[in-house]
Amino acid sequence: MITAVVLLFTMCNKAGVFNALDYDERLSGGMATVFDETSKSFGHMVPFLNERDGRVHELGDAAFEQTFVSAPAPVNSGLGPIFNNVSCISCHHNDGKGTPTAGFVNSSLLFRLSIPGTDVNGGPLSIPNFGGQLQDVAIFGKQPEANVNIIYNNVDVTYPDGEIVTLRKPTYTVTNSYQSLPTGYLISPRLAPPVFGLGLLQNIPESTILLFADEFDTDGDGISGKPNYVYNTYTHQRELGRFGLKANVPNLLMQVAGAYHQDMGVTNYVFPFESSFGQSQADALNDDPELADSTLNQVVFYIKTLAVPARRNTTDADIQSGKQLFTQLNCSGCHKPVVQTGIDLNLSAINNQRIQPFTDMLLHDMGDDLADGRSDFLATGNEWRTAPLWGIGLFAKTNGTPFYLHDGRARTIEEAILWHGGEALPAKQKFMQLSKPDRAKLLKFIQSL
Amino acid sequence: MKKISLLSLIIISLSFSSCNKSDDPGTDNFTALKTEVLTDFSNVVAVPGYADLNNAATALNTAIQNLNTNATEANLTEAKNAWKNIRSVWEKCEGYLFGPVEDNDYDPNMDTWPTDYVQMDSLLASSNALTLNDIKTITLSLRGYHPIEYIIFGNHGDRTAASITARQKAYMVSLATDIKNTCNELYLSWTTAPTNFAQRVKNAGNGSTVYAKKQEAYLAIVEALIGICEEVGEGKMKEPYDALDPSIVESPYSGNSVSDFKDNIIGLQNVYLGKYASGDGKGLNDLVASKNISLDNTLQNQMTAAINSFDNITVYYEQAIISQRIQCQQTMTALATLKTTLENNLKPFIIQNIQD
Repeated sequence: MITAVVLLFTMCNKAGVFNALDYDERLSGGMATVFDETSKSFGHMVPFLNERDGRVHELGDAAFEQTFVSAPAPVNSGLGPIFNNVSCISCHHNDGKGTPTAGFVNSSLLFRLSIPGTDVNGGPLSIPNFGGQLQDVAIFGKQPEANVNIIYNNVDVTYPDGEIVTLRKPTYTVTNSYQSLPTGYLISPRLAPPVFGLGLLQNIPESTILLFADEFDTDGDGISGKPNYVYNTYTHQRELGRFGLKANVPNLLMQVAGAYHQDMGVTNYVFPFESSFGQSQADALNDDPELADSTLNQVVFYIKTLAVPARRNTTDADIQSGKQLFTQLNCSGCHKPVVQTGIDLNLSAINNQRIQPFTDMLLHDMGDDLADGRSDFLATGNEWRTAPLWGIGLFAKTNGTPFYLHDGRARTIEEAILWHGGEALPAKQKFMQLSKPDRAKLLKFIQSL
Repeated sequence: MKKISLLSLIIISLSFSSCNKSDDPGTDNFTALKTEVLTDFSNVVAVPGYADLNNAATALNTAIQNLNTNATEANLTEAKNAWKNIRSVWEKCEGYLFGPVEDNDYDPNMDTWPTDYVQMDSLLASSNALTLNDIKTITLSLRGYHPIEYIIFGNHGDRTAASITARQKAYMVSLATDIKNTCNELYLSWTTAPTNFAQRVKNAGNGSTVYAKKQEAYLAIVEALIGICEEVGEGKMKEPYDALDPSIVESPYSGNSVSDFKDNIIGLQNVYLGKYASGDGKGLNDLVASKNISLDNTLQNQMTAAINSFDNITVYYEQAIISQRIQCQQTMTALATLKTTLENNLKPFIIQNIQD
């Protein structure tokens, strides 16, 4: 009798680990997952928002799609005078990645600028009269800072089995600069990344990210991810960089406020001076900040509460094989399949969630072919933050035509893999040595994310 | 505690549904309907809608050119009517805002709001030649329907033919040609190679390069219905209403806002019923009714109620948000109710019943 009670007690109280196989692997965002495979799959609200939060999300959604016009205007005033595009949605097409052209109304590429060296806070050194970003569009009567021409050169890659894939390498040439640029200036292309799931990524504990780091490769596996510590100009503190293609931005507020400021020329409470301040294109209007505080906060909340699209066809046999290959080739060394988020008492959908972002949020040397040569805080000219792979299979839906990598040079996932170098070179080489059917399985797996 | 794997759960639920299928004599009909509804959506609703849009754009272009050649009040009235007509057709086309209209940016190229008046003044004062090529590369807030609206309507129709300047005429001529070209491209994107989008919808689940399963095409259609319902009820109507700010209202110069909103929901209804103008094919309603008559009735009633409620708003929307708030709220409530049913009932219906 007592034995039975004791047994019962231990069975009820046994603190077991939940078997990994019992998690639904379709739920890339944990509770913050939505089942949609259409062009709208990146634009859904996380579940369980109360009515007020839902309304804030909708206001942020509307603001994200608003077209800005030049001041003074009754609605959406404050565009430019110099900028890259007129609304968040024009670059982040359907809340996703856009098209890698520059200077056109549907362009999604922008360019960071700097001269060698670091500023007082350890960040990139701005170019006098240009700043830290090139604005290649201007309102009528003002001159853009410059234009950028893009030329692609073909690079053939031959598999051991003889199959050839043609990659394209971009070259960027600055023309029509409104003033001459200093010799040795640095330019780095950035294709607008998807904006979903960022609330989850922001909620990964710093300690977790640091656990993934191995800057000096002490475990000898060839992977040496390192965190990027950056300076937050709003809090005046050194913080872990999470967002931006070089993990150069610490949180969503700085990312969104910075985008309003540099990409659209819209001043806000974080960046209250025009991006063209001190330049000949500056406007003489006393209308700063041009963006209402509440609007900025609503858009940050909108981004924070965008759900992750569920994986597709997870039980397909080829995809299961591809998943094994992904681990065997150690793609998972940087593209971490499973991460646990931290606590958030206000948003249950991002609180303590087991997510599958396929990123370690760390910087890695990706080799000379992908290098931009421009350091950004602790990120060297060869290093990029591991891109999250969740949702990658839906880029073709959200943008019509998919583009991959930081500058959109890759037109297929296969091309993206073939560009991997540096720390990723061994994995890329192993991929190339796989049989064609095995390569197809791995690609099918990544396509299911 | 027994742990049931996901795989076996799937197998169990599949076997339950296959048991139901063999008992239901209407299954073959449903199977045929699944293809018919996609076919009729393309052939009866979407393509004829874009064909009408194409024609309306040509008519607008002609009217604007006549106004340019001969700036009489009669020609100005013709231009205004042609503008209102194309808006009516376009707003109905917004019931299915997926495919080339969004992938190829046709929507933002024609329908960006707000219009940038400061830049427009600069543009007209500059020496820009205002040719078609200049318009095609111009910022979107200076392109499409709304700059034309500003030029030919003025403030609620107070524009006179004589007061339209030479620069404004050159500008509107290029704008109208640009819209004509865009609507033509949009029509062709559905009906001819290489895009041939109508074919890709009709072939969903049967070799289509866009929709690997019929379910994907249906979900794209339903998401578009939910999208437009939400955009009208929670965006275009609610934002100016909540802010009590007439300056936020879209398309104020022509006083056409309420018609636009109503036409959006008529477009939604057209898609649901598989009907457009004189065409009447199989629609989502036939699929729904074959398994859940009650849901079909609910949806149809809610659509009718929402559409009819617009008729209670009898002044310009910029005024209605101040003087007819109850009527505005009633319409927004009707749209919210419809959206809830679309999201919580129609979408799951599709997911459960169209799995291939």
